[in-house]
Amino acid sequence: MSSIIEIKNVSKEFKVLNRREGLKGSLMDLFSRDYKIVKAVDDISMTIEPGEIVGYLGPNGAGKSTTIKMMTGVLEPSSGEILVNGKIPYKNRTENAQQIGVVFGQRSQLWWALPLIESFKILKDIYMIPDSDYNNMLEFYKSLVDIDDLLHKPVRQMSLGQRTLSDILAAFLHNPAIVFLDEPTIGLDVSMKAKIRTLIKGLNKEKKTTVILTTHDMGDVDALCERIVIIDHGKMLYDNDIEHLKGFFGSYRTLKVRVDDDLKVESEIIQGEFEDLQVTSDDEWISILVDEDKIGVIDVFGTLQKTHKISDMQIEEISTEDVIKKIYEGGVK
Amino acid sequence: MKKKGIGFYLRIYGKILAQDLKSKMSYRADFIISTIGMIFTNISGFVSFWILFKNFSSINGWSYYEMLFLYGFSLVSITPVQCLFDNNWSLRIYVYSGDFIKYCFRPINLFFYFQSEVFDIKGLGQLAFGIGTIVYSWSRIGLAVTPLAIIKLVVFLITASLIMIALQNAAAATCFWIQNSFYVLDLAFKFKDYARYPITIFSPVFRFIFTFVIPIAFIAYYPSLVILRPDAVPILSWLSPVIGVMFFYISYKIWMYGAMKYSGTGS
Repeated sequence: MSSIIEIKNVSKEFKVLNRREGLKGSLMDLFSRDYKIVKAVDDISMTIEPGEIVGYLGPNGAGKSTTIKMMTGVLEPSSGEILVNGKIPYKNRTENAQQIGVVFGQRSQLWWALPLIESFKILKDIYMIPDSDYNNMLEFYKSLVDIDDLLHKPVRQMSLGQRTLSDILAAFLHNPAIVFLDEPTIGLDVSMKAKIRTLIKGLNKEKKTTVILTTHDMGDVDALCERIVIIDHGKMLYDNDIEHLKGFFGSYRTLKVRVDDDLKVESEIIQGEFEDLQVTSDDEWISILVDEDKIGVIDVFGTLQKTHKISDMQIEEISTEDVIKKIYEGGVK
Repeated sequence: MKKKGIGFYLRIYGKILAQDLKSKMSYRADFIISTIGMIFTNISGFVSFWILFKNFSSINGWSYYEMLFLYGFSLVSITPVQCLFDNNWSLRIYVYSGDFIKYCFRPINLFFYFQSEVFDIKGLGQLAFGIGTIVYSWSRIGLAVTPLAIIKLVVFLITASLIMIALQNAAAATCFWIQNSFYVLDLAFKFKDYARYPITIFSPVFRFIFTFVIPIAFIAYYPSLVILRPDAVPILSWLSPVIGVMFFYISYKIWMYGAMKYSGTGS
């Protein structure tokens, strides 16, 4: 099967005004302008196959939204090629819009004053969805999440979680080939996050929709994505299976211990004892990141036990969150 | 994909409009108060007009009822821009905050989609007021009521509306280039007040500006000459439908050009 999104050596540059400081600086800006070129996206290439859920990750300002805007046709790349379902997005914005769905977290695209079901009916007309497809989709929604309460509620009266859920439902309504979700779970409570993940997973499975997901929530990544792409400063850092990613750090484990004394003080002492290891503490645990190629977790624990009074302990596999944090910080090239 | 023609857009507009009205009616107090407000705005406008003309029986050869006709004509011709294109006033806010991006992902005309979101029902009161004024002055002047005259009136009212819409579109679209287009928009909208007077009362400089630069003379003056002074219609009056369509098209192009180069804010 041919790939659904092809991105080849894409870059996007913005011209940004170098602002001077203070009032005097602002006045000077009026008369002499000094621009610099910022590369928001720098030579990115990837191909995405139909039916994939790809986690598109990166710290704030990494260039994720810019890439998504290029894939949706809002922005034109400065160089390189993008093909979405065989079309160049910015040249065929309207046709491209027909085959994609977009959710930008916290910016609702629904009619503010209308009950959700009325928005759906208008969308049905806009996307020219046949009656049977429309009804099937609604039925399918009902089988995944409880939407009866939502349907007759005006969007403006909804909670953030309900609104996000509604926006996701609306994005999938015309059964698009690809759905872009930009931070869909931002600011939501645990149960709503779980609901939204179930929904996305279910839709992807049943309708074979390709999903591109940007998020800062590693829970989303663990629950949904098989593949992740990480960018920072516009450059691609990583593109592979999530399992492969964990393999990078396969030899790392986290040793967590609890002591009776003040955790902060104790963790500093431990850090002094093991200078090569990374020691952190929170309210309950002191965490020690151990590279087992160099020293065994049990050895570390044995040494600790001799000098500290340990009341409880845990050994944890490295989490996706830790791995990604390491990549952001430059741990993997 | 099927082609999306006028029928498609009309049907969608009808649906959005019906839903929008339904939800507006449900906020009863808001609806009543804003309707009363609009009535008072119209009455006060009319009273100041009336006071002016009680003191001068005619201006530059224009009688009281002819002036009244011009006034009614301008009221009716600005109704469409108020009812159908009111979202232009919010454009700068959407653009500034980055929310404008939400309009960019639908497979329909962006300009249509944006404007269809708001229908301002208050303008309808003004429409009734304007029509009343036209009918009253028409009968007082003693103009004949012929099918041709009615057709002329309707055609030239549409022309005038198009020019008003064009002015507002172009003014609103400036926010794609400058941060705050409110003053431009406000200025454009204030010009409509000058549209009520026969252009001959202005100095030649302003006559030129109001005809060729900011064409507000086409909102009421030139079109109404066709009806009021059928014996001496200047060529510009006959041209005004063409000019109206042309201006509307240009303003639409400017608006779309700005919208297409819009890239949103950071998120």
